[in-house]
Amino acid sequence: MSGADEEVTPARGTVFDIGYQRYDGIREGRGRGRRAIFADGVRIALGIGRGGRAKILPWAFITVLVGFGFVLALAAGSALSLLGPEAVEQLPTHADYYSMTAVIFVLFAGVVAPELLCPDRRDRVLDLYFVRPISGIDYIVARWSAFLVVALAVAWVPQLVFMIGLVMGNPEPFAYLAQQWTDLPRILVAGAALAVFITTLALMVASFTSRRAYAAVFLVGLIVISTPFTIGLAEEAEGVAGQWIAMFNLTAIPVQVNDIVFGAVSDMSAVGDANLLPVALRLGWYALWVAVPAAILLNRYRRGVS
Amino acid sequence: MSALIVAEGLRKEYGSVVALAGLDLTVSDGITGLLGENGAGKSTAIRIILGLIPPTAGAVRVLPNEAASASGVRGFLGYMPEHDCLPSQVSAVEFLTHMAQVSGLPPASARTRAADTLRHVGLFEERYRPIGGYSTGMKQRVKLAQALVHDPRLVLLDEPTAGLDPAGREEMLALVRKTHREFGISIVLSSHLMGDVERTCDRIALLRQGRLVQEGAVSEFTLETERLLVEVEEREDELAEGLRAAGLSVVPAERGGLVIEGRDGRVQDLIVQALVETGAPLRRMAPRRRALSELFAREGEQLGGDT
Repeated sequence: MSGADEEVTPARGTVFDIGYQRYDGIREGRGRGRRAIFADGVRIALGIGRGGRAKILPWAFITVLVGFGFVLALAAGSALSLLGPEAVEQLPTHADYYSMTAVIFVLFAGVVAPELLCPDRRDRVLDLYFVRPISGIDYIVARWSAFLVVALAVAWVPQLVFMIGLVMGNPEPFAYLAQQWTDLPRILVAGAALAVFITTLALMVASFTSRRAYAAVFLVGLIVISTPFTIGLAEEAEGVAGQWIAMFNLTAIPVQVNDIVFGAVSDMSAVGDANLLPVALRLGWYALWVAVPAAILLNRYRRGVS
Repeated sequence: MSALIVAEGLRKEYGSVVALAGLDLTVSDGITGLLGENGAGKSTAIRIILGLIPPTAGAVRVLPNEAASASGVRGFLGYMPEHDCLPSQVSAVEFLTHMAQVSGLPPASARTRAADTLRHVGLFEERYRPIGGYSTGMKQRVKLAQALVHDPRLVLLDEPTAGLDPAGREEMLALVRKTHREFGISIVLSSHLMGDVERTCDRIALLRQGRLVQEGAVSEFTLETERLLVEVEEREDELAEGLRAAGLSVVPAERGGLVIEGRDGRVQDLIVQALVETGAPLRRMAPRRRALSELFAREGEQLGGDT
C-alpha cells in the first residue's frame, strides 16, 4: 500500500429525491377500480394477505367440501375394483353430491361471505371507495362476483375430483367418459345454480349489518331452524300445502334445480312431494329467491351506503 | 385563476334539522380553510361536494376543467375523512396500493405510488405493519396518504388534526403545507381550530349555522382587525385605568401588555398622554393583528345578535 502517495479521488454521486412525485401516467378509470375490488374480494374470501385466523374458516370449509369429493372418488374406485360395477351403482352419484352437501355450502357462504362486506362498513372504508371513480353498484357487483368465483370453484372442484375418480377407476375410462360426458355440463350448471343462490343470499344478509358475526348467526340460524321445521311440517301436511311448505326449505331451493338438471330425485327435493311440482314453477321459485335478494342488495348500495 | 369548486345555494336538511342553509362557496387554487364551530356545516358541505350525500337544494360543480363525467372528476379528488376509515388487518402499503388501483391506476404504478406516498408522510419504514397496530398520529398520516396516492388535483381534508397532540398537529399541518407548496395540489381543509387554519391556509371561508359568514385571504381577515399593543415595564393597571378614563377600549393581552382598539392618530395621542400622566415606562407600542379566534368570536356574536 502506497498510502498517502496515492491521489485521493472524491466520491462522485447524485442524491435523488425519490419521495412523492406528480403522476402523469395512465388512469384506467372505473374498470380498473372494479377489477381491484373484485381481486381484493377474492383475497378476502380466501384469507390471502391476512393473518392466520382469517384463513382458518374458509379453508376448513373448502377442505371439507373438496375432501368429500375425494372420499366419493376413492369409494367409487375401490368399490369398482373390489366389488365390481354393480357395487358402484349403489354409491352416491354426481346428482347426489349437492343435495348431500348443500347445508355445508350454505354454512360456508353464511360464515365467509359477510367478510367481504361487513369490515368495510364497520371500518367505514366505504366513503373512501365512493369518492373514487367507482359507484356503489360497481362496488357491490365486484364483491358479488368475487365471492361467486370462489363459490363456483368450491362447488365445481369436488365434483370434478369425483368425476376424475370415476373415470380413472373404470377399466374402460374412455368408454365411460363417452357415455357419461353429459355429467360435466350438468355439474357446471347445477354448481353455478348453487353458487349464485348462496352468494346472493349471504351477501344480502351481510349488507344489513357491520358485524360479520351477526350476519353469520342470522343466516346459519335461519338454515338450522328452517330446514328441520319445514321438513317436519311438510311431512305432516298433505297435498299442495305440504309441497309449498317444503319449498320454503332454503337449502332445498338450489337442490331442486340440481335435480331438474340431472333428472333425479333427491331425498331433500322429495320432501312433501315438492319434486312433483311443475319444473317451470320450481325454476321460477329459484329465480325469485335469487332475484329478490339481488334487488335488495343492489338497492342497499345504489347510492353508496356508509 | 379558474374555480375548483363552485357551490350555489347548497341546502341540506335532516328532518327538521338544517345542516346547510343556502351555502354559496367558491374555492380556487391554494389552501382554503373551512372554518366553523362543530355543527356549522363543514363536514356536510364536504360530503356534498364529494358526492357522498345529495343536497336538499342547490348545486355544486367540482373541477369543471378536469373531466366531463362525475366518475372522471372523482379520479382527481382526494378525501381525508374526520372519522376512522382504515382497515385494521392489512398493511399500509397494501391498503394504499389497493386504493390507488380503485382510483384507476395500473397495478405497477399503484405499488410505486403507495411506497412514494408513504415516504412523503413519513411512514416508509412502517409500511408493512398492519394498520391496526398504528398510533393515532400514524393513522392520520395513512388517511392523508390514501387521499394523495392517486395524485389528485384537489384534496378535501376534514379536521385533519383531530385527536393529535400538539407536536402531531404541527407535523400534520406542515405536511399539508408541503403538499400544496411543493406539489401544487389544492387543498380544502376544514377545522374548528382557528390557529390551524390561520397558520396553514391562504384563504378562509367562515361558516356558521350552515351559511357562509365571511370569505377572503387570511391577511385580509387579520388586517381588518388591527389594534395597538402597548407593553410597559410597570404600572400597567394604572395605565389601563387612564386609557379607559380617556374613552378607549382596553383589554389585557394574552401574553402580557394591553390591547387597545383603534390605531389612528387620535388614539395614539391619547395613549402617549396616558403614559405621561401615569409615568409608566414604555417598552413597546406596535400594531397588533387580532387572532382569527377573536374575529371568529366577534363574527359569532354579530350573527347571534342578528338572528
